[in-house]
Amino acid sequence: MNLRKTWIGVIGIGFALVVAACGGNGSSNNNNPANETGTLTIWLMNGSAPPTVVDGVNADFKAKYPNVTVNVEIQQWGDIGTKLDTAYAGSTPPDVVELGNTLVAKYAAAGALEDISGKRSSFDNSGTWLQSLTDSCTVNGKLYCVPYYAGSRAVIYRKDLFTAAGISNPPATMDELLSDGQKLMTTNSSDPNFSALYFPGKYWYAALPFVWDFGGDIAKQSSGKWAGTLNSSSSQQGLTTLSNLVSKLSRADKTGDEAKQDAAFAQGHIAMIIANGWEVGVITDPKAGNPALADKLGAFPIPSHSSGQTAPVFLGGSDLGVAAKSPHRDLANAWIQTFTDQKNMTQMATVGGVIPNTTSLLGLGTGLNAVFYGAAKNSKFVPNSENWANVENANVLPDMLVKIFTGQQSIPDATAAASTRITSILNGGG
Amino acid sequence: MIVPGAAQGVRVGTASDRARVDLGVNLWQRSKQLLFDTVGIAVAAVMLFPIYWMVATAFKPGRDILTLTPKWFPSPLTLQNFQDAITRPYFLDDVKNSLIIVGVMLVLALVIGFLAAVGAARFGFRGRTAYLVMIIAVQMVPLNALIIPLYLQLDGIGQVDALPGVIAIYLAAVLPFMIWTLRGFVANIPVELEESAMIDGSTRFGAFWRITFPLVAPGLVATAIFSCIQAWNEYIIAYVLLSSPRNQTVTVWLASFTTNHGPEWGPLMAGATITGLPVVVFFLLLQRYLVGGLTAGSVKG
Amino acid sequence: MATAITAPDLEPASTYAERRGRLLPYVVIGPSLLVIGGILAFPLGWLVWLSLQHYGLKELINHQGQWVGLKNYQAILADPLFHQVIVRTLLFTFACVALTVVLSTLIALLLLKVRRAVRVIVMSSLVFVWATPVIVAVDIWQWMFDYEFGVINYLLTQLHLGNFIHHNWFDNPFQGWAVVLVIVVWGAIPFVTILLFAGLLQVPSEVVDAAHVDGAGPWQRYRFVTAPILKPVYLIVICLSTIWDFGVFNQPYVLLNERPSADYYTIAIYSYRESFGVTQYGLGAAIAVILVVVLAFVTLFYVRETVRAAEIA
Repeated sequence: MNLRKTWIGVIGIGFALVVAACGGNGSSNNNNPANETGTLTIWLMNGSAPPTVVDGVNADFKAKYPNVTVNVEIQQWGDIGTKLDTAYAGSTPPDVVELGNTLVAKYAAAGALEDISGKRSSFDNSGTWLQSLTDSCTVNGKLYCVPYYAGSRAVIYRKDLFTAAGISNPPATMDELLSDGQKLMTTNSSDPNFSALYFPGKYWYAALPFVWDFGGDIAKQSSGKWAGTLNSSSSQQGLTTLSNLVSKLSRADKTGDEAKQDAAFAQGHIAMIIANGWEVGVITDPKAGNPALADKLGAFPIPSHSSGQTAPVFLGGSDLGVAAKSPHRDLANAWIQTFTDQKNMTQMATVGGVIPNTTSLLGLGTGLNAVFYGAAKNSKFVPNSENWANVENANVLPDMLVKIFTGQQSIPDATAAASTRITSILNGGG
Repeated sequence: MIVPGAAQGVRVGTASDRARVDLGVNLWQRSKQLLFDTVGIAVAAVMLFPIYWMVATAFKPGRDILTLTPKWFPSPLTLQNFQDAITRPYFLDDVKNSLIIVGVMLVLALVIGFLAAVGAARFGFRGRTAYLVMIIAVQMVPLNALIIPLYLQLDGIGQVDALPGVIAIYLAAVLPFMIWTLRGFVANIPVELEESAMIDGSTRFGAFWRITFPLVAPGLVATAIFSCIQAWNEYIIAYVLLSSPRNQTVTVWLASFTTNHGPEWGPLMAGATITGLPVVVFFLLLQRYLVGGLTAGSVKG
Repeated sequence: MATAITAPDLEPASTYAERRGRLLPYVVIGPSLLVIGGILAFPLGWLVWLSLQHYGLKELINHQGQWVGLKNYQAILADPLFHQVIVRTLLFTFACVALTVVLSTLIALLLLKVRRAVRVIVMSSLVFVWATPVIVAVDIWQWMFDYEFGVINYLLTQLHLGNFIHHNWFDNPFQGWAVVLVIVVWGAIPFVTILLFAGLLQVPSEVVDAAHVDGAGPWQRYRFVTAPILKPVYLIVICLSTIWDFGVFNQPYVLLNERPSADYYTIAIYSYRESFGVTQYGLGAAIAVILVVVLAFVTLFYVRETVRAAEIA
């Protein structure tokens, strides 16, 4: 055995490993952007940003920071929590991550994200950010991410089916929604697959407007402790109204979720669904949907039980966070600044069709989108607790809804059980 | 498992079948054969039905896929889904990565695993029982439970988002099964076979190579295929460890067909058909060694 | 069968060749130990160490846990959900393994009887099933059992076996688990069948024919002639199947859109949910350790038999 060769080999490999591990550390202490070097890793979720917009952002950024390499990597939604957990646990987490707005609190509270409270004003439109998104980024009064885009829900309906049933205007109250729905069911009674309002049982995002409209909520926080409030009388009233609608108007799977509702809608046996704005595109997709429906579709906001108002909707969406462990936090923030600036955010809205992060751009909604943009103005969010993600992962809301809709449990019992569970989880238990 | 002369069993069967036919039409035997054959076809049909459904769907245009009344045959037939799937970004990169990962892992696993199997089967040594127990026990631990420490371990040496790290993990995951199974195959070949060859003048190694190795070949093929399938189709480790799309495997690529409004069925089925193909081809190439090796002539008596 | 192999290797002479011979086994199994140990030793140790800590997301990011000793284990063993899940997993494993072994035996025996063309067709179909990625296969099955678009509902109704239109298979956990069972067994049959078939080919047909001549029926021929010869194969197959089926994760998880309700937890899903679902990594690790311990108990008989057979062979 040639010992010397072996030792050189070992040292060589060790050196190579060390160099590889250290790769990616650039300096970001210079004030002159043109001199900054380094590599930024950005994780965006599948389907959120149109590739042209991303390219545009990178081009703008390159113009300002010619020596910085930007790698945008698209990640899949499935098991993203696991991937994020390991990434933040490691030594080189991605510098910028798109986080679903219900996930942020968990990572912020655990110390994964940088506190950017002091940098808020450096982002375009920060004065007019959508309140719900900003709330999702705020934990203990500090700002941990930048609002990115939002999604809101309204009712997509078939104008032709409404006309055929003799309904001239979309319903303006929940009572009208029920009576219009019943007219539709009667007119289409010969179709065993017909649903006036197709509502899959686990669709909790669409159930919350009913809870909120009557003044109820998922949970309330007082003196630092959370208490589940789905069993309050107002929450129960909302759920009773919804349960009534579902039993009379929907033939959807009471134990299923909303993933297939667009494909189902495209089959033509449904008059109304509660959906996001981008679902219009899925329904009329030339490859997988039914483009013939394009001019037959309309939208109206989820009506309130009181006339003259609309029900508050759940504001979905994503935020952008900078990793606390990132060696390029300034560059990362600079990239986000570019990504969410006036020009690019406008592109996100017009090209991507999603709701931009600022109320100042809500006027960009045209056609059907205007309804969804308008609905976003009256929106609420889930309890902003670092443990909310655990409530979602424990399926408390979907399971409760399934029990109610299938009749397994009465509304008082189901909501009481869910509230107890939510109280326990939000306060740090299991 | 492999006893000299036993493989004759199949040949003997064939000969006697021929004899029966030669003796003229025996209606009872013929209808029994027909019954067995029909049941065989039925079994194949039932097992294959979901696969048929997958491949048929791959050829259907989008709106024919999720229909309230199932469409049994794709008509009109379209190649749109395949085109869609192949032109997705990084498809070729990901196929290349999968091939590299599985290829390297397979070679290393076969060499290391076979050596270890022979060692455990043929030699007695201190700690052999402990070794065997360790091999079995390691297989009981769910890989999912080890995601975090595996990640941190690789992170410590800078091998996150790199193929060697994934290869190493797959290798460690596949070796126990391979060693254990191969050990069984090797142990079932009596030492006397090698010893009789050695008496005839060949070396220990030569005897092993010419006598034992061909008899173990089917076992090697079966475990090789199994390990390939495990590695090729593995998702969670590849997903967590590989983040840049250029480094990902084809299984992670398949996951990109599932958005948050459900899977895009047409392209997903097309993608799945494409990714399943190499494994099937691999098997078809090797299947003659699998079955053929078992029925090929062995030392008689 | 063969005589003890150890004898020739322990001759008292101590030449260089002999010493090299005594080192040979360790050299041969060395690389495998290096790989398995190198990759898995740290994670396995970490898993056990983690199970004794309170470890949430904050602790994970800072690599600093809080020592709680056996509290995690106490919490889990006191949780009624854990007992439900463990019993359910054991029953499910038993059903899967039994069904897989029985069906695979039948198909393997069938393969002996059919003509060559049919044998190739059947084996090819088994390989197609084997080669399909689990996640894709479950997607297809999920869709086949879909409430609205599922082929199974349609077929069952057409065959007048009842009205299955808009039948939800996962409403009732018994039915839901039956579906999971079908999927797992379907996926498991190819490998077991192929191994059993390989084993069957080694059964000397003279012995079977002799039994036939002596008047033994097909079941008796199988039970008293074929099965005992196949015992080593069955040992391996049952042991492996038990280990794999006990750790079933993907099928129920993907089938229920990655959000299974507690009724559909297996012990592996329960561990993963505690770890990544509610980010209680310590609890999740403790569950995983318990999983391994229970599995070791369950397979004890087979492991001992296999190791004993290994000693003799």
